[in-house]
Amino acid sequence: MNRDEVFELVRGHLAEELEVEPARISERTNFKQDLDADSLDLYELVMELEDRYGVSVSEQQAAQIETVGDAVAFVMEHAPA
Amino acid sequence: MAGGPTVALDGFGAERGFEALAGGARMAAADGIRLRVFGPADRLGLARVDGIEVVPTAEWIGNDEDAVPAVRGKKQASVVRAARAVAEGEAEAMVSPGSTGATMAAATFGLRRLKGVRRPALAVQLPVPGRRVLFLDVGANVEVRAQHLVQFGFLGAAFSEAVLGVERPRVGLLSVGEEAGKGREGVGAAHALLGAAAGIDFIGNVEGGDLPAGAADVVVTDGFTGNVALKLMEGTAKAVTGAIRDAARSNPLAGLGGLLMRPALGGLRRELHPDTTGGAILLGLRGIAVVGHGSAGAEGIANAVRLAARCVEVDAVGRTAALLERGGATRGAPAAEPGA
Repeated sequence: MNRDEVFELVRGHLAEELEVEPARISERTNFKQDLDADSLDLYELVMELEDRYGVSVSEQQAAQIETVGDAVAFVMEHAPA
Repeated sequence: MAGGPTVALDGFGAERGFEALAGGARMAAADGIRLRVFGPADRLGLARVDGIEVVPTAEWIGNDEDAVPAVRGKKQASVVRAARAVAEGEAEAMVSPGSTGATMAAATFGLRRLKGVRRPALAVQLPVPGRRVLFLDVGANVEVRAQHLVQFGFLGAAFSEAVLGVERPRVGLLSVGEEAGKGREGVGAAHALLGAAAGIDFIGNVEGGDLPAGAADVVVTDGFTGNVALKLMEGTAKAVTGAIRDAARSNPLAGLGGLLMRPALGGLRRELHPDTTGGAILLGLRGIAVVGHGSAGAEGIANAVRLAARCVEVDAVGRTAALLERGGATRGAPAAEPGA
């Protein structure tokens, strides 16, 4: 697993669920401001990351994930080796 | 209905206890509905009942727990397992008489939203005599935006047509006046979007008094207003039927009149009772999830399971998705974009 793979998973999930063009999504993309996503969208992404990468995201940690890059960095930092 | 749908039933959380829950499961199974019940086998007493499989489950989520963290943390809780059973194809619908918040969270995360749906909405059939009025949202979304209300209109219309058999249901938007500009900002914007939407019969704003009058077949509002209105209607119906009963017992002549009216009033009371409709349904998901009424007895539990089974039989999910797509009401459709 490398950073590009995680980014592609996050981008694919968001593009599918939010019905936006994948090209609109970069690591700097803000969930709320750029994608009109809300807390439910974010929870679904977090659960996808938990299932896929075995990370555990607390409520406080989830609240701090604001951009696509934040989500990717969280997985890279917390995923079991 | 031999070989009918399989319904996953949360075996915990019924306010009237395991006996009521098991009684409801037996009644639904007698109709040919297959059940997988997630709960304590020794308390439910459902061993060797045809059509019922008890999946021993010890963990559950109570009303006092914060729903989202509980659902995320308790992977073996009965309501979470019921949702997972549907997601994994072991059942076709789920029913829970327990915590509404936990059921909504388990269903939303477990079954996932339909493609293009922003927020699932909780819908109930109102206790309106002789009519089938669907009311949503009654508690899933305290705060909503115009685009949410528009989607609620589509979700409700699809359910009304598919499950309640209402042909071309009339959709109304709850507000404080019939004129288009009346109400909060989001309501005004939703009025404009619904008025321009294809595929549903939007009749404009309706007021609170129009709900029991059946002025619309589907009435949409935010979850806060909807919950208050629903509880007010249920409480009023209960108080009025109680007052009628007391009046009928007030003197011998009234008692005689009451005796003569008893069969008609009994039917009316059944029609108004929350158990009759089977509870609320969470619309906008990729599967069927029914939230039983908190105080449901065996009949109420059975009707909740029957409602879930009927939704499966008429392909309520598929028909909802099709209507959303046809009406351009999915999240990515141009007409559903903010500011449209």
